[in-house]
Amino acid sequence: MKKRFFAVFMAAMMILAGLVGCGGDSAPQSSEITLITDKGNIDDKSFNQGSWEGVVEFATANNIGHNYIRPEEASDAGYLAAIDLAVTGGAKVVVTPGFLFEVAIYEAQTKYPDVKFILLDGAPRTADWSVFETKDNVASIFYAEEESAFFAGYAAVMDGMTQLGFMGGMPVPAVQAFGYGFLQGAEVAARDLGLADGSIQVTYHYTGNFDENDTNKATARTMFQEGAEVIFAAGGAVGKSVMSAAAEADAKVIGVDVDQRYDSETVITSAMKGLAASVIGVLESIYKTDSFETYGGTSTFFNAANDGVGLPTTVLDDPNGDAFDRFEKFTKADYEALFAKVAAGNFEILRVIDVEDAAGNATAEELTSQLGLQKVTVRIRR
Amino acid sequence: MNDYIIEMLNITKEFPGIIANDNVSLQLKNGEIHALLGENGAGKSTLMSVLFGLYQAEKGEIRMHGKPIKVNNPNDANAFGIGMVHQHFKLVEVFSVLENIILGIEPTKNGLLEKKEARKKVMALSEKYGLKINPDAMIEDVSVGMQQRVEILKMLYRNNEILIFDEPTAVLTPQEIKELLSIMKDLAKEGKSILFITHKLNEIMDVADRCTVLRKGQLIGTVDVKETTKEELSKMMVGRNISFDVDKKQSSPGEIVLSIKNMTVASKTHKNNAVKNVTFDVRAGEIVCLAGIDGNGQTEFVHGLTGLEKIESGSIHLCGKDISNASIRNRSVSGMSHIPEDRHKHGLVLEYTLAENLVLQRYWQNDFHNRGFIKFDQVKNYAERLIEQFDIRSGEGAETIVRSMSGGNQQKAIIAREIDKEHQLLVAVQPTRGLDVGAIEYIHKQLIERRDSGKGVLLISLELDEVLNVSDRILVIYEGEIVGELNPQETSPQELGLYMAGAKRDINRGNQHGA
Amino acid sequence: MAPNKNQPLDFNRRIKELTKSKGWASFWAAIMAVALGLVFGFLVMLVARPNSAIAGFRFVALGGFSRIGNVFYFATPILMTGLAVGFAFKMGLFNIGASGQYTMGMFFAIYVALAMDIPNSVHWVVALAAGMLGGMIFGFIPGVFKAMLNVNEVITSIMFNYIGMYLVDMWIQSNALLYNSAMTRTRYIPSNVQIPSLGIEGSNVNYGSVIAIAIAILIYIVLQKTTFGYELKATGFNKHASEYAGMKGKRNIILTMTIAGGLAGLGGALAILAPSAIAGSSMTYEPINIIATAGFNGIAVALLGNAHPIGIIFSATFISHIQRGGTLASLVGYKPEIIDVVIAIIIYFSAFAMIMNNALGSFIKNKLRKNKEKDQSNSVSTEEVAE
Repeated sequence: MKKRFFAVFMAAMMILAGLVGCGGDSAPQSSEITLITDKGNIDDKSFNQGSWEGVVEFATANNIGHNYIRPEEASDAGYLAAIDLAVTGGAKVVVTPGFLFEVAIYEAQTKYPDVKFILLDGAPRTADWSVFETKDNVASIFYAEEESAFFAGYAAVMDGMTQLGFMGGMPVPAVQAFGYGFLQGAEVAARDLGLADGSIQVTYHYTGNFDENDTNKATARTMFQEGAEVIFAAGGAVGKSVMSAAAEADAKVIGVDVDQRYDSETVITSAMKGLAASVIGVLESIYKTDSFETYGGTSTFFNAANDGVGLPTTVLDDPNGDAFDRFEKFTKADYEALFAKVAAGNFEILRVIDVEDAAGNATAEELTSQLGLQKVTVRIRR
Repeated sequence: MNDYIIEMLNITKEFPGIIANDNVSLQLKNGEIHALLGENGAGKSTLMSVLFGLYQAEKGEIRMHGKPIKVNNPNDANAFGIGMVHQHFKLVEVFSVLENIILGIEPTKNGLLEKKEARKKVMALSEKYGLKINPDAMIEDVSVGMQQRVEILKMLYRNNEILIFDEPTAVLTPQEIKELLSIMKDLAKEGKSILFITHKLNEIMDVADRCTVLRKGQLIGTVDVKETTKEELSKMMVGRNISFDVDKKQSSPGEIVLSIKNMTVASKTHKNNAVKNVTFDVRAGEIVCLAGIDGNGQTEFVHGLTGLEKIESGSIHLCGKDISNASIRNRSVSGMSHIPEDRHKHGLVLEYTLAENLVLQRYWQNDFHNRGFIKFDQVKNYAERLIEQFDIRSGEGAETIVRSMSGGNQQKAIIAREIDKEHQLLVAVQPTRGLDVGAIEYIHKQLIERRDSGKGVLLISLELDEVLNVSDRILVIYEGEIVGELNPQETSPQELGLYMAGAKRDINRGNQHGA
Repeated sequence: MAPNKNQPLDFNRRIKELTKSKGWASFWAAIMAVALGLVFGFLVMLVARPNSAIAGFRFVALGGFSRIGNVFYFATPILMTGLAVGFAFKMGLFNIGASGQYTMGMFFAIYVALAMDIPNSVHWVVALAAGMLGGMIFGFIPGVFKAMLNVNEVITSIMFNYIGMYLVDMWIQSNALLYNSAMTRTRYIPSNVQIPSLGIEGSNVNYGSVIAIAIAILIYIVLQKTTFGYELKATGFNKHASEYAGMKGKRNIILTMTIAGGLAGLGGALAILAPSAIAGSSMTYEPINIIATAGFNGIAVALLGNAHPIGIIFSATFISHIQRGGTLASLVGYKPEIIDVVIAIIIYFSAFAMIMNNALGSFIKNKLRKNKEKDQSNSVSTEEVAE
């Protein structure tokens, strides 16, 4: 007994001693492109994952060292500390997915003028919103969520669905834009089909979180039971809950941010932000075309016009696959026609409306009047 | 052939710090009852654990019918026909009596339990040896006595020939003890060989054929019981002469210290009251003994008296002060000291040091704290004084963790604490339970010393000897009622037994109720 | 403070006593437990990335030393929740509700910081006190349930984790003074309500860590030196004996749970009121229906610290140290998830080995005693093993 403990103890001591002795024999591996995750995990089926896929695709193809870091603390200072660590680790390009990095990047852009930052869905600012400044070493990227959701809403109604559901995470600008675009797309499709006023019903709900949990699943199940044929799940991991409810109810889901058709058979399409594409685009400007100045120092909107948002049109590992095979009527050709119109600016798709509620929850009245809904009736589910 | 069924020769067993058995030999004859006698800590249990395979001896060997055997674990012991009834029963509480007996060797048929045959065999054994059981009762519902019978049947069911009883009478009532001893005699008559661990001399004189005495891990000797006396055995055990007669003067009762009127306490286990309308007084300078068979309301009475439970009705006055509804602390301050029945449960915080335990009733007094901060030096001084005065022995003095102390010294610590505290009444509940003769003698002396210094003593005891020898006045409690008041000088064990069993009852006591 | 009436002791004798004490034995047991954990952690790193294992493990084991400020900064909340669990445990109560108490403390602190007008100089102190009060309320309620109705504190405190979390999330989301809906989190806490920083470069470490350690020492003194601590431990060891000795068990249960809650609540307040290295920024709380992990980490901290306040200072610091070092391991290519696994293994192996502490501690103690007895060959109490 005694001997065994001492053996373990001595072994541990020897390892520790060895460590102290053999310092810098193993130089930190180069992580030239480093991504810092937002609060979720790297496989969040959302910002972290989408942008990380872009990093991996580009860095692997060009043989550049890459890694990701998770902040120790979800605060501005914690994000900045993670950036510090990334730079210590040799990062030349730091990718930060999400608006939560705005303040940290504002600090970091001055602190590390030689490091390039790709800030997705946000623009550098001070904590008190008094100063917005994007320096030349920062590429600030935004997405037109409302356009992406517009396609999804349009496609669902054109496919013959009349009972739709929207489950957003929390009413933050990006999620709100998804919801508004979805309603507008449904409205336009109903008009194109010549349906009567009020023939499309949309149940509109914010879960209040971005989690996969039983409450969210139960909510989705209830919405399906109440007749929803499809639910647009715009809230990170909320989608997983909705997908599992849909599988049980034999109903459909519209994914968000990235192409989620591979997660569940129930996902008919996804309102994508071109996260990977935009990251790759910026990385190419840095490494390939030496034209970072096109992105650096300003905010770039990725929308239909520059192919930054849309529905998935290809199937992974299958060049001949039909990304629209889960629709009954809506086809790739229909989508491409619509896409061209949106890209050309034929529709005025609202991204923001006035909302009374402090938390950002719009009322049915606010949605109907400001988005000009006639064919679509909205029912708010709290 | 060899006369001896089991021989343990030159056994030495060491534990860190002590030699529990030092070159001890013991020879068990076929069909005899062989007592193993010794004080607490003499090494009796260790020796038996070696035989039963729980410990391995460093030196020495075990022989069966003259051939050396190796007992590596209790399963081996079982295979050799050695069975043991442990001091603390090893039964599954939520199983029935029958299931416990057959546990481990259940007869099965097609993978299903086949209890019918087993039941037949168990009931036959039960009949044969007079071991009355209810095979379908749950262990948790049956009395301690029946649990012990279950343990014995377990051994018999396994056809064990050598039966080890580890202090089997410690947990039994006088009636149950009598019954057990006669069962043991029957078993021996049937050819079973019995090893009987005890420190009660009377029981040895009653049943044993021979007796081996251990002291501090060493073999003192093996004697034929017929050719020895209690005094002889106790001298071998303790190493000095022990007086069995309690030496005391005539009592001279003074003022009433404790006055209980019509006290009734509810039972926790059944709907009837456990203590019914009890009325009596205790005066200064006398030892009043509340005698009775275990389970006749003594525990509830003491709880009601000391405040651990609320009384239903009636009143308690201590030195004229009404304490019927006073808190435990208040009663203690008012002059009641209490040596509790279960010293591990109530009397001590086993993880605390001796010093910390010695101030358990008075840590809050100004002597021992200064604005909430304990004065540890005062506590230590106080503890050292008590240790000296009451001869409490322990490994590290005041700093000893109480759990590591022997039962006798733990009890001494409680007595020291309760006696040294300011008090007019000492309530002593089974103060000698589980202790060896030396400690018993000491405690009896202390009780009498209290009496002689003018305190009232209320002794609650199950031991007939103790009741008769120590007390000045005996009250018998039966089913929660006082059924008789006896003078120990005039009564006999037989008469006392009749009262305790409820067969005799003093009508006059009942008339006091209205008073 | 405690009256110090000890005579000056011979130093050598003091050391000798110390090395033979139970505390010393548990200290060695803890060291060995940690060593065992590190060995297994290293094995996992070796499997995950053989080439970087040495460098990575070096970061995990020693990296914390280069970030000592952050080690203490991140140790502070779990030190407080560890105390909340450990303190209640001394009385035999299993306070699983540290999360709810922590969250409630955080909310009270946020409310005072953002919604109340208090002079600048004392604002953060009032916010801290409010946080403690919030936690106390959420310790008090399970305490009352336990004392008065004998409802198991494990059940109530688990329920109060949820009740606290949902209440706080609801209160925050419905109050525009507190909640910034665009950012889905609470508003920034003004810098004058933040706890003053200790000014260590690259770290938010602040007076909160000093307060936490001081409180751990205070708790130690309460437990070891006061009649209340004496009663509390006696009750924890043996409820019946404490009742027999006339201690007020119910009062002590409520008091203990309230204090435990206050400790966790203060932990929440210390966490949320921490200063930020970025001007105008601060810690924020995001109401996303997640139970605070600090509460559960507190259980591990208390376990590893053997529920001893001083032990808890060390265990919280140790866990934080391993975590800070673990973060650095990403510099040699370890993914955060692997690092999590390694940290968890180190902590759980250490904690698991600590459970064996009793066996190990008494083994060492016996060993020491045996030596002592060989020296003196005096007859000590032999009953313990022989009977």
